[in-house]
Amino acid sequence: MSSAAIHFDRVTCRYGRRTAVDSVVLDVGAGEHLALTGTNGSGKSTLLRAALGLHPLAGGSVTVGSVAARTRAQWAARRRQVAWVPQRLSPGRFPLLVDELLDSGGHPPAAREAAAGLGVAGLGSRPLHTLSGGQLQRVFLSRAFGAVAAGAQALFADEPTAALDFAGQEQVARLLTRLPVTVVVVSHDRAMARSCDRVAEMAAGQLRVI
Amino acid sequence: MYRLVDLLALPAVQRGAAGLLIAAVALPIAGVFIIGLDIIAVRFAVMHVALLGITVGLLTGADPTLCGLTACALAGAGVAPFARRPSGLPGAMGLLMTFAIAGALLVLSLSGVNATGAFELLWGSILAVRGVDLVVLGVLAVAVHLLYRRHRRQLALLLFDRELALCSGVPADALMLALLVVVAVAIGAAIRLTGALLVDALTILPALGARALGRSLRSMVIWSVVLGLLGSTVGFTVALLVDQPPGPVLVLVAGALTLLTYLIPEGATDARPSRRRADRPGDDAVPVDDRVWQH
Repeated sequence: MSSAAIHFDRVTCRYGRRTAVDSVVLDVGAGEHLALTGTNGSGKSTLLRAALGLHPLAGGSVTVGSVAARTRAQWAARRRQVAWVPQRLSPGRFPLLVDELLDSGGHPPAAREAAAGLGVAGLGSRPLHTLSGGQLQRVFLSRAFGAVAAGAQALFADEPTAALDFAGQEQVARLLTRLPVTVVVVSHDRAMARSCDRVAEMAAGQLRVI
Repeated sequence: MYRLVDLLALPAVQRGAAGLLIAAVALPIAGVFIIGLDIIAVRFAVMHVALLGITVGLLTGADPTLCGLTACALAGAGVAPFARRPSGLPGAMGLLMTFAIAGALLVLSLSGVNATGAFELLWGSILAVRGVDLVVLGVLAVAVHLLYRRHRRQLALLLFDRELALCSGVPADALMLALLVVVAVAIGAAIRLTGALLVDALTILPALGARALGRSLRSMVIWSVVLGLLGSTVGFTVALLVDQPPGPVLVLVAGALTLLTYLIPEGATDARPSRRRADRPGDDAVPVDDRVWQH
């Protein structure tokens, strides 16, 4: 299992005319665990989504390992390289079984083992829309752990503990910070931020404090 | 019963029955895709696109049905890029419908082709199904099943959430293109069979029933085909027995079946226990911590 360094080089993202991320420069070392904090709407989620090619870059580039994705094939490789826990845990507009989601991470046995550890093992045959918010979050986390086991060199987690109880928050913080890959976690959870190697703060689309 | 047996001996009735059976094992799956893509109004758009294609066919002397289906396929491919937009496909379908009807009327006006002839092809009739229509339906049925069977897991993710599909290695754009082309051609073919106004009986109604009963893409597809076959068989038989047009009777039977599925309490089919050993209740007490990523 290897980890990749990540370099955000003057990354700019816009929603229409509004600049959501403004020339952000940030280096995350290989194997480093970085907490990204900041007020709501400061651009944290957009920055991570842009790194995955889910939001268009208006300027700059994001390098993971040694590759700055530009072509469709490179973006597809990037998404295999970086496991992702999304912020908006949509139960979806169409039924999907928990097992189908777990399998999509690329390493079903690891994802199922993670699900067992996170207390959502008995839910495999249930559609996602029947789960509670906390259960859904645990399932998405299990999928991401499966992706790491499948070879992802980094993990982006966007508010991964927002829907969890206190015990779950502590458990997930412990798990994320022990992962042997590069981790960037967007969080408003101080305990989570404290458990990371470094904290970066965003405000109004810019990186203010490191 | 004798009357039914006599009727079934007629070639037109046999072709109609064969067409309905082929349609019933494929078009409900297209209906499931339509519901998954949230484009239930797609038939209106495709109906107008088919009209445009038929008009061009009449104008050029080419086979109007094939021209209509080609236009449907092109239209499906044309709207695929809109799936990337946050607003999704419903708006694009409205735009397509408006452009298509305007284009069809303009072509009719410029060419002097008899508009009634073009519109008649849209009403369709099961008993007027030709051999070539059966071939088209057969090819379509194979295409729908191939698309589903070869890409079931990817389709499940794509219909659930496009971004999750992208992050799971699914070629979302290519798959969406294939999905929309198949859906548009399926609607176009069904229009030939039942007419534009009754196309729901073969596509969306079985899929709506399946949505109420199914817990995953796989179970929805199975339910949709079961409901499609049941509705088509019962509807066609009843229509023959009571000597009424098959189209409306089919819709009424398919609608009644869908209505019955709505009587099942919401969530009643959701929480079946898994047969997997690892998923049995009680297995979730396994300590996790460091083990989860040590593969």
